[in-house]
Amino acid sequence: MSAYSKDVIRELVEGTLPWPQTRRIMSAYKDDDRFDKYISVLQDRVAWDDPILLPVGDRLFICDGGEGRVTRCECGHSFGDYRENWKLKAVINVRNTEASLREIYPNSDLPDPDWMEIREFFCPACAHLHEVEAAAPGYPIVHDFQPDLEGFYRDWLGKPLGKPGKETA
Amino acid sequence: MENPIVIGIDAGGTMTDTILVDKHGHFKIGKAATTPKDEAEGFLASSLDAAEAWGISLESLFSGVDVVLYSGTGMLNTLLSRTGRRLGLITTKGMEDMILMGRGLQAWADYSYADRLHAVTHAHPDPLVPRRRTHGVTERIDHFGDVVLPLYDADVVTAARALIRDKVDAICIMTIFSHVNPVHEKRIAEICRQEIDRAGAEIAVYTSHEVRPVIREQSRLNSVLIEAYATSRGRRQLRGIEDASKKYGFKYGVQTLLSFGGLTSINHPRLHETMISGPIGGILGAAYIGKLIGNDSLICSDMGGTSFDMGVISRGQTRIENEPLMDRFKLNVPTLHLDTIGAGAGMILKVDPLTRKISLGPESAGSDPGPICFDRGGTEPTIADCDAILGRLNPDYFLGGKVKLQVEKARAAFKAKCADVLGVGVEEAAEGMIEMLEADANNALRRVISGQGIHPSEFTLLSYGGSGPLHLAGCARGIGFKDIITFQFAAGFSAFGCTTADYMRRHSVSTQIDIAARASDDALAAAGSQITGVWQDLERAAVDEMLADGHAREKIRTVPFFMARYTGQLEDVEVIAPLPAVNSADDMRTVLARFEEVYAKANHRVSKYGEAGFSLMELGVIATADKIKPTLVRRPLGTANPASAHKGVREAYIGGRWHRANLYEMDLLEPGHEVAGPAIIEHPATTLVVHPDDRVFIDEWTLLHYIHA
Repeated sequence: MSAYSKDVIRELVEGTLPWPQTRRIMSAYKDDDRFDKYISVLQDRVAWDDPILLPVGDRLFICDGGEGRVTRCECGHSFGDYRENWKLKAVINVRNTEASLREIYPNSDLPDPDWMEIREFFCPACAHLHEVEAAAPGYPIVHDFQPDLEGFYRDWLGKPLGKPGKETA
Repeated sequence: MENPIVIGIDAGGTMTDTILVDKHGHFKIGKAATTPKDEAEGFLASSLDAAEAWGISLESLFSGVDVVLYSGTGMLNTLLSRTGRRLGLITTKGMEDMILMGRGLQAWADYSYADRLHAVTHAHPDPLVPRRRTHGVTERIDHFGDVVLPLYDADVVTAARALIRDKVDAICIMTIFSHVNPVHEKRIAEICRQEIDRAGAEIAVYTSHEVRPVIREQSRLNSVLIEAYATSRGRRQLRGIEDASKKYGFKYGVQTLLSFGGLTSINHPRLHETMISGPIGGILGAAYIGKLIGNDSLICSDMGGTSFDMGVISRGQTRIENEPLMDRFKLNVPTLHLDTIGAGAGMILKVDPLTRKISLGPESAGSDPGPICFDRGGTEPTIADCDAILGRLNPDYFLGGKVKLQVEKARAAFKAKCADVLGVGVEEAAEGMIEMLEADANNALRRVISGQGIHPSEFTLLSYGGSGPLHLAGCARGIGFKDIITFQFAAGFSAFGCTTADYMRRHSVSTQIDIAARASDDALAAAGSQITGVWQDLERAAVDEMLADGHAREKIRTVPFFMARYTGQLEDVEVIAPLPAVNSADDMRTVLARFEEVYAKANHRVSKYGEAGFSLMELGVIATADKIKPTLVRRPLGTANPASAHKGVREAYIGGRWHRANLYEMDLLEPGHEVAGPAIIEHPATTLVVHPDDRVFIDEWTLLHYIHA
């Protein structure tokens, strides 16, 4: 079974691995301990200590802190309980006019703002753009997914989660 | 024995094979690891191995031979490692992104089937010229060769100066339809050379119509780029080989093999035509053997460590592939057609612990670190390890005993990583793995044969390569070949094939000559004189190049050929012209009749479709000059009892149980001998496994015929 060093996984996450090596990893069977190494690479990247349970975006993680399992930005800002849609607590910019859409599509055709708007979700603390969604005007903010954390840890990783707020790194 | 007269060397990805041949057709084989950094090292090591087998020194070997043939991997490695020259490109304005866009299939060519399906793994090969060193110039020539837009000289001057400032080593020039009318490419080259002189720089200039004036821009572009990019280092490697041979007393120039099956000196002006030459030797050798045994329908199959190559000679016709791939670049180089699948003794075996899915390769352990049983640091079980575990490989006689196989080590690793995961016994798992490999090869052979539209009972299978005979029985079982043949020199067969080649040049040009089904005599004669004119030009060019290589005019033979199709078809058939020139309507009819004959052979006689009319898409001339060739020796059949070659018995696991298999020394088998399975016929460089109830018969040419029960 293949296994890669943590350095290789770090480069894979950062996108600095040479393409032929990346492709070999893509084409091979998944390495057994990828998830653990992946999480520990991410943990090294953040300045806070709460253990990361699951990444849900490039810089957005579900982690286990004193306040329970929360969605947290890489900068440390908490969006609250992971079962709630974190987007509701983000700073939101809606592009629903021709002028505002033209800012991001300067040279091409535009979507019709009567049929589609673009919503951008920023971190209130560090202003990182975490997510963009395109939806019909009036459509509720999309809750991308709510992971079954317990099931994932118990059935797939084979190490059940303890009580919220009690996990250690 | 007399001194050898020909040395053929085939440097593959892992091993460099040498074959020595004397004028009576005696052979000796040598082997050494390929040394990509300085190929001369591997060349000398392999030659020395063969010289020792012959019982002579390197000095007397090289001072006595007439021909040294070398086909290597230097250029391919330059391309793969992207260590070639710094190039600039001048092309028709509007076509500047051609390199970046490439051909769609270049993004996944050479991938496994699973990866082809997963678009996320697709990626274009790294371009040989970056976009910033690609310049478009205003000009346009249409497909009739008429100038639609004149060339703007000023654009060329600007582009040339920018490339000189960028310190390129070479400037490549490729404009649209230059194969019909090269006037603009020539003018661009002239302006570039003036600017280079003015700047006092040393920059080579390559034009696509000189490299290969053939339709399809992308392939023509790739050909000219690769010629400019990779061949200078390749030529240096070949010079290194020549210097090494001369140091030991060789008196002449070293020859190398062209992808379409001829020899040329290492000063060949279009050296990229020698890049795909390794497996070509096998087809040439097969054609030679076919003549001996009187069968012109042959399948040649070459199994080494990594791949299983199959070539077809169908009723005397070898197929030419006009746009082969080289490191996932489509090229415009005529190449003897080969089908390849990943299947070889070095294939790494994997069993997914979750799904218990078994996969063979596509990775190969190569020669470094090699299979576990080589004990050179390999940790992944391979097919060769299975062969060793099952007693099919002799642990004390691999490469004549130079490598001691560590069977117990292989067995322990295979048990842990494969057999235990699958939950079956070691032998059962190992034989299963081998059967999977053989089934892959067996299916591939069936596919190749059914593609010919000819029944397998017309074909003779030739099996060679280091691991060809080892897996021959399973690869060929149940297909119903007319005959199955392998060789005492199976491991060196490709190198042997190279030694049967002649000196050759092949010049061709794209045309568009359409002849209606009921063309008048005048129309036929007019087409004929156009064809004759092109042939004469090409013949002059080909002969001039051979004269420059030092061949005497009276030794050079030329044969015109053409590529034709029924009008409206998408593929061409290559036809050797029945006449040296077409001087009348009747001559033209003779030429078309020959096309129909060849078409019917390559496809089927009922697929002829003359009512559609004929299109001649390419005209060419092949110029050849004879070379001394080895001959196989014919000896009378003797006794059927192979006792004189018997060397013992060994336990071997075949067909689900252990057998006491008789061991024979392959080189001691004599014409007439018959070996009954279970038996193992050993040679320092290869092993032939004879399954229970199967038989092997040695014929008067000392070829080994495998007969299934």
